[in-house]
Amino acid sequence: MFIRTDDRITTSQAIVFMTNTILGAGILTMPRNVTQATKTPDAWVAVLLGGIIVIPVILLMVKLSQQFPGQTIFQYANRIVGRLPGKAFCLLLVCYFLIIAGFEIRSLAEVTLFFLLEGTPIWAVVLPFIWVGAYLVSGGINAIARVYQIVFPISMFVLLISFAVSSRVFDIDNLRPVLGDGFIPVLAGLRATIPVFVGYEVILTLVAFMENPRQAAKAMIGGLAILLAVYLITVIFVVGGISIDSAMTSTWPTLDLIRSFEISGFFVERLEFPLMVIWLMQMFCSFCSFFFQSSLGVAQIFNLSYQPVIFAMVPIILLSTMVPKSLQDLLLLGDMIGMMNISLFLLLVLLTVVWLIRTKGMKQHV
Amino acid sequence: MSSPRKLVLLTLFLSAILVMPTGCWSSKEIEDVALFTGIALDKGQPAPIEKEFESKGATYSKRNKVMATLQLVPFKSQKKQGKKQNDQKSTFLNISGSGDSILEILRQFSIRLDRPLMGHHLKVIIISVDLLRKQSIEQLTDFLLRDNEIRPSTLVYVSQGPARETLMSKKLNEVPSFHLSKAVRNRSRTSKVLKPITLSRLDSLTHSKKSFVLQTLVTGGGELELSGASIINGSTGQWIGSLNQENTECLAWLSGDRNAGVIKTDDWNGETITYEIKSLRSKITPQVKGDQISFQVEIHTLGRLIETWDEQSHPTTNDYANALDKRLEDKLAAMMEELMVKLQSKYKSDVAGFGRRLAIENPAAWKKVKEDWDNVFSRSEITFAIKVRINDFGSFTED
Repeated sequence: MFIRTDDRITTSQAIVFMTNTILGAGILTMPRNVTQATKTPDAWVAVLLGGIIVIPVILLMVKLSQQFPGQTIFQYANRIVGRLPGKAFCLLLVCYFLIIAGFEIRSLAEVTLFFLLEGTPIWAVVLPFIWVGAYLVSGGINAIARVYQIVFPISMFVLLISFAVSSRVFDIDNLRPVLGDGFIPVLAGLRATIPVFVGYEVILTLVAFMENPRQAAKAMIGGLAILLAVYLITVIFVVGGISIDSAMTSTWPTLDLIRSFEISGFFVERLEFPLMVIWLMQMFCSFCSFFFQSSLGVAQIFNLSYQPVIFAMVPIILLSTMVPKSLQDLLLLGDMIGMMNISLFLLLVLLTVVWLIRTKGMKQHV
Repeated sequence: MSSPRKLVLLTLFLSAILVMPTGCWSSKEIEDVALFTGIALDKGQPAPIEKEFESKGATYSKRNKVMATLQLVPFKSQKKQGKKQNDQKSTFLNISGSGDSILEILRQFSIRLDRPLMGHHLKVIIISVDLLRKQSIEQLTDFLLRDNEIRPSTLVYVSQGPARETLMSKKLNEVPSFHLSKAVRNRSRTSKVLKPITLSRLDSLTHSKKSFVLQTLVTGGGELELSGASIINGSTGQWIGSLNQENTECLAWLSGDRNAGVIKTDDWNGETITYEIKSLRSKITPQVKGDQISFQVEIHTLGRLIETWDEQSHPTTNDYANALDKRLEDKLAAMMEELMVKLQSKYKSDVAGFGRRLAIENPAAWKKVKEDWDNVFSRSEITFAIKVRINDFGSFTED
C-alpha cells in the first residue's frame, strides 16, 4: 500500500470532499421525501430553506475545529470534556458514520439490483464496492480527495445532461402556485430537507487535514453551495417534470423522471442507464468518505495504526450494509439517520457550550 | 519470475483471469427473450384459445376480470420458405389470456411460449372502454407502474371497441404498437391528437384524483384511427364518457397546448371555407366573487385562408377578411359551446384544466372547493372571448 507523507488537502479538494460526501444515494429518493412532507409544489423552497439552516451548523463545526489546529474531533473531544465522555461521544460518531456507510452501499445495491442487475446476488454488488473502497481509503485522505476530483465533474456532467434533456417533459405549471398554502407546508418540508445534508459532520475531521485551515469556512460553505444548487435543480426538474403527485408515489423519483421519456435519435435512447452507472461512482465516493471517517475515528480513539483498522472495518461495514432486511427497512433507516443527525448535532452544541464555559468563563487552557 | 513468491502471485492472477472474463452475470441474449411492445387490456372473458385449453382441464384458480393481450416482436412466421409473392409474413404475434392479476396472466404466458417475456421495450398500453367501466384505471396500471422493466414513458390509450383489435393490422410489415407510439408525431398537423399521456403522467393524474382525458382509438377494416377522447372520472378512476373529434380539438385549443388544426365553416353562399391555424393563444382567467367562481376564456388565433370553394369570393380585400373572421369566430364559439355543454352538464368533469388555473391564480379559493371540484366546475359560469384573424390567403389570388 502507499504510504503518504502529504496527508493534506487543498482548499478546492476540501470543497469537493464535502460535496461528494453528502451527494450520494440521497438524490435518487430526496424528491419523494420532500414532496411527501410538503404536499405542495413548494418542495424547492423547503430545500433552499433547509440548506440555509444548515449554514450556521456548518460554521459552528468549522469554528470549533479551528480552535484545535491539526486535530480531528476524535482527538480534541477528550480535551474538551475529558477522556471518558469524549471517547463515548466519538464512538457515537463512529457508529453514526458506520451506519451511513452501510446505508449508502445498501441503497447503491438496491437501486442497481432493481434497475440494472436483476438476478445478481446482493453480495456480488456489495463486496467489490467495499473492497475497492478499502483500497481507496487505505491511501489516505489525499488519495480519496484526488479520486473525488476526477469523479465529481463526470457525475455532474451526466446528471446535468440528463436534467437538461428532461426539459422536454418539464411543465412550469407543475411548480405553481408558489407558496399557495403559505409557509406551513415549507416548514413541514424541512423535516425532510435537513436530513438530505446528512454527512456534514465530516467537517469535524476535514478541517484538520486542510493545508489552509483558515479557509475552512469558505471551503465548507462553498461545498454546501454546490450541493444546494444540485439539490435545487433536482427538485425543480423532478417536480416540474413529473409533478408532485408522481414524485410522491414513486420509489426512485429522480430515476422515474429520466425514465419518463425516450429520446429516439440521441446516442442513447434511455438516459437512466448512463446516469445510474455514473451515479454509482458518486455513491461510491460518498460511501468511501464515511468509511474513511469511521476508520480514522477508531484508529484515533484507541490509538491504533490506521491501515489494519481499515481491514478490520470491512466486515463491520458489510454487517451494517446487510442489517436492513427489506426496502422498507432501508427507507426507515434513512429516516432514522436523519434523527441521529439532529441528536448528534445537539450533543455537539453541548460540547461547544462546555468548551466555551471552560475557555471563556473559567479561563482554563484547553 | 525468479522468486517462488512471484510465481504464486502469477498463478493466482491467471486463475482469477480464468474466472473473471467468462461473461456477465445473468446476461440474456436478445434472441432468447420475447420482447413485448404492446399490452391491450379487455374486459374479462377467456380468450378463444384459452377456452380450448380450459375445456381440456388446463386451468388454475382465477376470476376472469381482465383479459390481457401482449404483442410480441419480432416474431418470424413459420411459412417463409417457398413462394415469395403470396408470403404473408407476420412480424408480430399476439397472445391473449385472462385472469384477475396482470402479472399472473403474463406469467401464465410463460407456459405457452418458448422464450421468457421481457418488458423493457413496452411502447403502448391500450385499455378498452368496457373494462374501464368496471375497473378503475389505477387498479389496471398498478403493476405496470411497479414493474422495474416497464418504463414510465409508455403511452396509454383507450379503445372504443375491444382493445386487442387495436393490436392487429392488415398492413404488411407493420407492428401496430409501433404505429401507435409513432402516431403522436401528427400533433404538428392536427389538434385531434391529444397530448400523449405516459404512464408517469397517468400516475400523477390518478394520484391527484382529477378527471382527465385519454386518447381514444377506433378500429375498422384492419386499420385504426385516433378518434376523440375518453373522460376518466377522477374520484372513481372509471370511464364516464367520450368526446368526439371536434370536442377534442377544442379541448387542445382551450388548454393552449397545441396551435395546429383547421376550422371549416360555410360562407354566405353556402360554400366551404377552410382556415388553417398558424398560431393560437389561449388564456383562462378565473374570477372569484364570494362563493361564485367564474372563468373568462380568451382565445386568439392567427391563420391563413387555405381553401375556399366560393368562386365569387375576393379573399384579397380587407373587408372580405373581416367578414370571414366574424363567421369563423362564430363557428369556433359554437364548437367551444358544444364542448362546454358536454363537460359541464353531461359529464360534470373538468378535463380542460380550469381547476388547475384556479389553483395557480387563487390557491385560497381552490383549497375551499378542490374536494368537490367537478361539481363546482359544472355550476361555474364560463364566458368566451374569441378572436380569429386571417392574415394570409396563400399563393393563389383570384381577383
